[in-house]
Amino acid sequence: MNLRSALKPGFVGGIVVVYLSAIGMVERFQDRNVITGLVGLGVVLMLVAFAITSYTAARKSDSSLLTGVAVGFISGAFVAIVTMGFEGLINAGLDVRGMFVSITPGLLETLEFGLNPVVGAFMMVVASTAVGAVSGVLVGLEYHLRSAVVFAIGITLLMSLGEPILRVTLGNLQIPTGWLYELGGLTIAGTIIVLALAFGLRWWWMSRADTRREAAAQMPEATRRTWGRASLMAAIVALVALPWIVGPFVSDVLGTVGLYVLLGLGLNIVVGYAGLLDLGYVAFFAVGAYAAAIFTSPASFLVTEEGQQFAEAGFTNLWVALPFVVIIAVVIGAAIGAPVLRLRGDYLAIVTLGFGEIIRTLVLSDWLSPYLGGAQGLTRVPAAPPSSFDLRNPQHIYYLILAFSLIAAYISYRLVDSRVGRAWAAMREDEDVAEAMGISVVRYKLLAFAMGAGVGSLGGVFFAAKIGSIFPNSFGLQVSINVLAVIILGGIGSIPGVIVGAAALVGLPELLREFGEFRLLIYGAILIAIMIFRPEGLLPNKRRQRELHEGQDLAAVDLTKEGPS
Amino acid sequence: MSAPAPAPAEQSSRRLRFERIPMRRIILIVLSVSIIYGVVAGSTATLRTGVFTAEDWQSLFINGLARGSVYALIAIGYTLVYGILFMINFAHGEVFMAGVYTAYFVAVAFAGNGFLNSNPLLSIAILLLVSMAVSVFIAVLLERLAYRPLRGAPRLVPLITAIGASFFLQYTFRGFYGANVRAYPTIEILQGKWTIFGIQMLKTQAIVIVAALFLWFLLYLFVARTKTGRSMRAVGEDREIASLMGINVDRTIVATFAIGGALAGAAGILYVFLFNQVIFTMGFLPGIKAFTAAVLGGIGSITGAAMGGLILGILEAVGPNLFLTGAEVPSPNQLQPVIAFGILVLVLIFLPGGFLGASEEKRA
Repeated sequence: MNLRSALKPGFVGGIVVVYLSAIGMVERFQDRNVITGLVGLGVVLMLVAFAITSYTAARKSDSSLLTGVAVGFISGAFVAIVTMGFEGLINAGLDVRGMFVSITPGLLETLEFGLNPVVGAFMMVVASTAVGAVSGVLVGLEYHLRSAVVFAIGITLLMSLGEPILRVTLGNLQIPTGWLYELGGLTIAGTIIVLALAFGLRWWWMSRADTRREAAAQMPEATRRTWGRASLMAAIVALVALPWIVGPFVSDVLGTVGLYVLLGLGLNIVVGYAGLLDLGYVAFFAVGAYAAAIFTSPASFLVTEEGQQFAEAGFTNLWVALPFVVIIAVVIGAAIGAPVLRLRGDYLAIVTLGFGEIIRTLVLSDWLSPYLGGAQGLTRVPAAPPSSFDLRNPQHIYYLILAFSLIAAYISYRLVDSRVGRAWAAMREDEDVAEAMGISVVRYKLLAFAMGAGVGSLGGVFFAAKIGSIFPNSFGLQVSINVLAVIILGGIGSIPGVIVGAAALVGLPELLREFGEFRLLIYGAILIAIMIFRPEGLLPNKRRQRELHEGQDLAAVDLTKEGPS
Repeated sequence: MSAPAPAPAEQSSRRLRFERIPMRRIILIVLSVSIIYGVVAGSTATLRTGVFTAEDWQSLFINGLARGSVYALIAIGYTLVYGILFMINFAHGEVFMAGVYTAYFVAVAFAGNGFLNSNPLLSIAILLLVSMAVSVFIAVLLERLAYRPLRGAPRLVPLITAIGASFFLQYTFRGFYGANVRAYPTIEILQGKWTIFGIQMLKTQAIVIVAALFLWFLLYLFVARTKTGRSMRAVGEDREIASLMGINVDRTIVATFAIGGALAGAAGILYVFLFNQVIFTMGFLPGIKAFTAAVLGGIGSITGAAMGGLILGILEAVGPNLFLTGAEVPSPNQLQPVIAFGILVLVLIFLPGGFLGASEEKRA
């Protein structure tokens, strides 16, 4: 091994940690305990950054341990020097925070592990070198062992981060959690138990992998299908039971996740099936929410003076309004789509983004405020009858969203191999050829666009019903980007992908308040990383994967996936 | 893109068929007629009310020209990159933001020790340099880390990356510099008005227009005359053949991003001359508008970008007041983004090649 091959990854690791510190992530995350009394999330974040850089460098090198140590040492030294530099600048009386608002005394304290600057710097180098050494050792380990170690660490982290849900859930199930959690993090004893359990389980599971694969291969097709159906049913039963297990707060989060699943499924038809990048999807979400509010709110312009005397009733109730809202959205979708769908992909993306912004500007404007409420928004969207099914109750609306998500998922699933779905696939792969084969490209694009609009507006209706009042600020570009990130992380065109994407990108940040301000930063990073490293997403749609890796060795692609489990 | 599909009715005359109604064409005609009617009716109504004097129109026009110059400079970044890589560098607005926002801290330091107003020209030059340097750095970094791994990927892949990069950069700078709006310190010699050819205008507006013209001219010479400029055009024409001819494609692409970044950095300083404020989201709208300008002028064309920028700026400044005041729309200037995006949509529908660009067929 030569030292120079460790130099670059070492600096990369150092720069990444300095970057994470300078944007305030390390300090903000440090507020959260991972193992109470031992490490916070900020430190874990740093260590993970060190680990990833030294691991990737060590994997490429022939002497992995040495490389790991060297990379870890260089990264740590870099961070330590920068920290001392800032310490010096602050001591010299320079107003560092006037520019970099995140370089706070609290951050420096974290970077120095609460010790004095020199000892802290030393500790930083020790810690990073140790992490580098561990990564180097991991590379050298046999595959099963390494996988089990990584799995155990990952599960422990997840258990710790999932504390808000898990503690409440276990509490609801009358399982004591005092031994496991303390002050928002794992206890030391809990950590050891979780690590050991996860390691053992993974080890056991992997040692039986061959037998399992054989059994699966021998299983007759009919049995396999029954199993598949049974597990799907079990999943649905679990989804139905979920809100009562996890309690109202987590149900609220689940509702939001469900909303994004719905939106994601809608956008998936447009982007995933038809291959049209729509950056203004929020437009239909807004149309749905506003139309629902106008139809149902007593404050709406549709309600006359006399009508307002009848207390809290709007023009009509939500159930009656629902089909009309969807029809309106579909018509608007078609009307917006018809003139622009001939445009080439990237132009179409920008035009749809323009439509999204136009709708938001119009909603905010004084001009339309008599109808749409302007900056004040539309309030008092009433709950729909019957009163025993309360849409404001997170556990109730969850079912509504769940039902419609399941319907949308089923329709999407059936669409893929239908005549329409095949037309979309043909169009996506080569528009000109598809047209030559007799597919009316514009008509099928329009169909996708309108269907996406309909599903998006449903999302808007439930959003309005869930929140009760809507404001223009909820309908910015970031909604479109959120939904796009959801389907791209999960895998464009993949239905399970949408669910996983929504759970990871919407559910996790809702539960980890610390993520809040970095949400869009992380989404942006995910969009870049996925596009570069795995454009087909985490749970890819097979066909899409082939399209994205056209010309590459398919066998090589398949090897990167896990075996059947 | 292919030409409009031939009418299928001619081919399958076996059974009687109604000729398909050309929905798209009908929508387009209705759209254009209603827009023309709206613009004409609104404008005549506004002019009849006489709310605005000739001087008001003049100052709106100058205002539009000034902001249009800024758009033009940013638009050049889009156009150059598109001309070579055929990708929309969606994060270009953030490149613009990064420069001015960083230069802000230099400006504050200068204002603090009085240097800003004792040596105004020197300090403006330094601010320009800082802003341009940071923007160039970010643009080159973006190319290296986010776009280069994706050369040759399907077209939407780099666009999605660019959108991700846009948000990533916005929130990175939010993390670095905070979420507040910050006001640039005032430079005293830029305050006040000049009268040029009998037209009163703010000093800043005049300076912005002249500076933008100058920079545009420099760029034009650069692309037309220098070796790098020539290799940029060659790479845009055909990357593979250019590389066979001994042109270093990677270096040329980096140079393109750097030039776009430098102009965006300069545009940033001109932007604060006009609008005076910086915040981490400031790049988004100017970025989109500059993209509109680039499309309007014909993406890929440098002259087109400049023209598109000016036209968009003027339409944006004059348009809402002219078209909407007469229609009794309250606070018409709120609707400025609608004008910009409306123009984008209309240009793409009716004139996808822009004024000076290659035709859509050739680009596809």
